[in-house]
Amino acid sequence: MGRPRIGAQFGRQFRPDGHFDRSAAHKPILVLDGVVKVFRADAPVLRRVDLTIERGEFVFVTGPSGAGKSTLLKLVYRAETVDEGRILFCGRDIARLTDESVPFLRRNIGVVFQDFKLIPYWSVFENVAVALEVAGMPSRIIRSRVAMALERVGLAGRGEDLASVLSGGEQQRVAVARAIVNEPAIVLADEPTGNLDPVLALDVLGLFEEIHEAGTTVMFATHDRTLLEQSPQHRLIVIDDGRTIEARQGLRAVGGAFAAQREHADADDATATARLPL
Amino acid sequence: MKVVSRALRGVREHVRTQVVSVATVALALFCLAASALVAQNIGELSRRWGGPVRMTVYLADGANAEQVDALRAALGSLPEVQNARYVSPTESRALVAGDDRVMASASAELFPATVELALAPGAADSARIESLATRVRRLPTVSDVETYQGITGQLQSVLSSGRNAALIFGVIVLLCAIAVVSNTVRLSLHARMREVEVLRLVGASPRYVRSPFLAEGALLGGGGAVLAVALLAVVFFMVRGRLDMMSGSIGMRPVFLSLPLLAAFVLGGAGLGATGSALAVRRWLKV
Repeated sequence: MGRPRIGAQFGRQFRPDGHFDRSAAHKPILVLDGVVKVFRADAPVLRRVDLTIERGEFVFVTGPSGAGKSTLLKLVYRAETVDEGRILFCGRDIARLTDESVPFLRRNIGVVFQDFKLIPYWSVFENVAVALEVAGMPSRIIRSRVAMALERVGLAGRGEDLASVLSGGEQQRVAVARAIVNEPAIVLADEPTGNLDPVLALDVLGLFEEIHEAGTTVMFATHDRTLLEQSPQHRLIVIDDGRTIEARQGLRAVGGAFAAQREHADADDATATARLPL
Repeated sequence: MKVVSRALRGVREHVRTQVVSVATVALALFCLAASALVAQNIGELSRRWGGPVRMTVYLADGANAEQVDALRAALGSLPEVQNARYVSPTESRALVAGDDRVMASASAELFPATVELALAPGAADSARIESLATRVRRLPTVSDVETYQGITGQLQSVLSSGRNAALIFGVIVLLCAIAVVSNTVRLSLHARMREVEVLRLVGASPRYVRSPFLAEGALLGGGGAVLAVALLAVVFFMVRGRLDMMSGSIGMRPVFLSLPLLAAFVLGGAGLGATGSALAVRRWLKV
């Protein structure tokens, strides 16, 4: 029997009858439909982006710095709002969410950042538990769930340590534990290895692979070619000049250093690889 | 309770900032409490001086004991008079001379015999006092009547001005205290912006994010008020010895703030802290 998801209220927010929409379980987890985001009128960050992400997918989002990777993720967890188009998360248009509903959306999304975003003067336990405390979970459940999350990221028994005394790799593991502790529908990772050395970066990528294998949808934004090469089987979305180009079969299927597999690449994949900023 | 514990955690994590903040708030509230203390004592003084109104009836030279008794009885039976007391020339000399030996050695005949009247509370308005004085002056054994209207009027005016000044000062200090708390909470907000960011990120409701800051403001205000009152008590009891020397001439002993007023002050401090915090949160914390 599965545990109830925190923020299941999110599903109920938009149903007049107040019942959870079971049909959402069979829909893509995330759909971007003609999304436009403009900060400067002469240089839109995203130009009519169409994208569908299925449940349980692992998707790399890549592109040069400033291409709009972070903006894309911010739109999903509603740190930014779209200027045009719509974003459907579990079948609901998040652009239409009221401010009161945004916290419920975020309880369904785990986010990991390059700078970890931990509270240095809180313990590891407190940094992870906060994701459950905001949802009003009983402390007994919080204790057991945090312990499980810390075990999954390899930090079992480190709950009492202050976040500030951890190494960079350990801090990122705490951030990952916080992102997954409430078993969100999707985990967004915004350059999560940007502050780590190459060995730790691969280590953290491995952690996301494990999370994905457990059934969680992962969107992983990075411009680190090593990571893309490490997991070439995953779907690749390239953002450049405000547009997205997809390689559904991943880096493994397309050109450059992967010439051996070039014959398997479809036209989109070839275009995507050609434009990779790698 | 969780909100308070989260607020206390915030206080613990920024102890230095909080100590400076509480001290600043305490200083502002000390000024407020001091002005309240001054206003209270002026009020008390005003009540004393504006209490039973006095009138002195000077007796004509040569009035004998029977005439004096008859006059005192007649005056004592008037509805406007609460009490009538005969003061002989010897008593008058003793009252006026005090410790002055030269004055004390003067002949008692130089001092007038009087009947001191304490007027009833209902007869304290100027028109009734003047009417009574006119009637008393017509009596045969009376040479003159002193109503003290000029002196008490001036004193009331001074006391009233002092009380108003203390109240105005109090209001200004109150506004300053709100501004201090508001800015202090703003500093705290900036120091904990990362925490706020994380809370938003993991889906905390705006109320969840804001409530510990409001509680922190209330704790800050309440703590500052307690400290201010303690400081004022120390200062008050240190200088009261000197003030006691003046108490004889002003007719009252300075009193400290009453317990209900102290409780109200601490609660008010907490409310003020919460108000200042609410202003800061509303302006600086977008959730």
